[in-house]
Amino acid sequence: MSATSILQVERLSKSFRGLQAIADVSFAITPGSITSIIGPNGAGKSTLFNLITGYLAPTAGMVRFKDRPITGMATNRIAELGIGRAFQIARPFRDLSVRENVRIGALFGKAGARDVEATTRRGMELASLIPLADQPASALTVGQLRHLEVARAIATRADLLLADEPCAGLNPTETAAMIDVLRQIRSSGVTVLLVEHDMPSVMEVSDRLLVLDAGTLIADGSPHEVAKDPKVIAAYLGTPDASS
Amino acid sequence: MKRSPVPIVLLVAAGVVLLALGPFILPPFYVRVGQLMLYSAGLGLAWSILGGFAGYASFGHAAFIGVGAFAAGLAENSLSSLPSILVLPLGLIVGGGACAILSAAVAYPILRLRGTFFAIAMLGVSHVCAELTNNIDFFQGSLGLNLPAVAPASMDPANFFYWLYLVAGLIVLLIAWQIRRSRFGAGLLSIREDEDTARMLGVPTERYKRLAFVVSAVLTGLLGVLYAHSLGYITTDSVYRDDTNLSLIVYSLLGGMGTLFGPVIGAFLLVFVTQVILARLLDFHLFATGLLLAVLVLAAPGGIIGLVRALRRRRPDMAPAE
Repeated sequence: MSATSILQVERLSKSFRGLQAIADVSFAITPGSITSIIGPNGAGKSTLFNLITGYLAPTAGMVRFKDRPITGMATNRIAELGIGRAFQIARPFRDLSVRENVRIGALFGKAGARDVEATTRRGMELASLIPLADQPASALTVGQLRHLEVARAIATRADLLLADEPCAGLNPTETAAMIDVLRQIRSSGVTVLLVEHDMPSVMEVSDRLLVLDAGTLIADGSPHEVAKDPKVIAAYLGTPDASS
Repeated sequence: MKRSPVPIVLLVAAGVVLLALGPFILPPFYVRVGQLMLYSAGLGLAWSILGGFAGYASFGHAAFIGVGAFAAGLAENSLSSLPSILVLPLGLIVGGGACAILSAAVAYPILRLRGTFFAIAMLGVSHVCAELTNNIDFFQGSLGLNLPAVAPASMDPANFFYWLYLVAGLIVLLIAWQIRRSRFGAGLLSIREDEDTARMLGVPTERYKRLAFVVSAVLTGLLGVLYAHSLGYITTDSVYRDDTNLSLIVYSLLGGMGTLFGPVIGAFLLVFVTQVILARLLDFHLFATGLLLAVLVLAAPGGIIGLVRALRRRRPDMAPAE
């Protein structure tokens, strides 16, 4: 792995029958950081996650994880290398308990079958799910399901967590709790790549922001720099006057 | 919290001992019914490894009963000089091997389908196998095939096959149990719940589905070999049966889909009800069976095990408040 990046996205493009969802996007992610991707709906954020995790094949370009090309690799192989994903719409194994859900992450992913019970417990602890361990996933609230998504992805012993809108649909208290969870995950040495619409949370938690608009990367910098970027203000953030 | 397996192991051991005593205490008719119950339970468990654990409900597992039965019969007849003690082991090896080859060959294309499409494609596989067996002279499916007797001369064949099915059912139960508690089993459950998410968590879904399919097919084929011997003479119609295709799903639905003991409970119940109780209704029994199944599935969509679990969850609420 190069000293400066855990993930390198190089000139990545994806088109769906003429619709350019991702256009020539390049960036690299620093290990141990929280990097957020923001942009309006349809900007290509989830498509980018799908390309990184192998769920979609790119039209052009390359993704490297720890200097290893992962483009064209099967999704489960990419997970085995250490990329975990928490989905935008929670996809729990509904008939299984919280513990069983997280345990499957621990049994597979990068973890292999080592220290499964300890890894399961650690995943649940990080996401504050221990009191709900024996509840069926179908009985959880939206906020708890978001925590389960993150716990399950972390239990795979991912080195890079792709969190797709983990705060969507959460109230301010739940959002604060989720931000706290993401911070703890970073503290444990996991790099986080976050897609999120909740701007106060993004500004609070991120080390760096990437801004996508219509599949193109229009800004890349610290939250402070990006917030002042005229292109970002025009495309996504708007001005205080415009919003009032 | 993990439950200790000791009580359930003791319960199964007691059940096996009780069942083993069956031929000593039951009249011949009930020994035959017992044979069918044990055979059906074994088949239900073998089906459940793919249909219940991985969620790929096959509607054509009779293909493997037929292929196993005919492959074994043809091999045994072509090696008639073989000592009688080796006949059944040879049949099991050939029948199981034929099912392994067939399932491995069709696994890749057919497991790309999901849900109803997979179920119907498997029905197609079953019908294609049946037609080939029936129309290609080599297989002797339309004329019929005699199988060598394998029961010891000193033993009533009905009792022999009863015990053989009991041992076979127990072996299939142990295999299913081992799968259920293994990493492989956890992977199959995650495939059943959400295959795309499972893959995202690192579950090698394609490899696991294929393995579950082959294991399920081979176990079904081995039971098909025993079934063929218990009949003594087989035709296409006697082994490639659509009612078997349907029953295998019903056993799990009735007992509890995806559970270890669900197919066993479902098979025991359905065979007993249809063979002993409803059979007395003569022409009316198919209607009564259908009605009973519809009522049971509507009243207990999670099967009998699901119903018991729901009642146990509800019990604390029913306790008096004092």
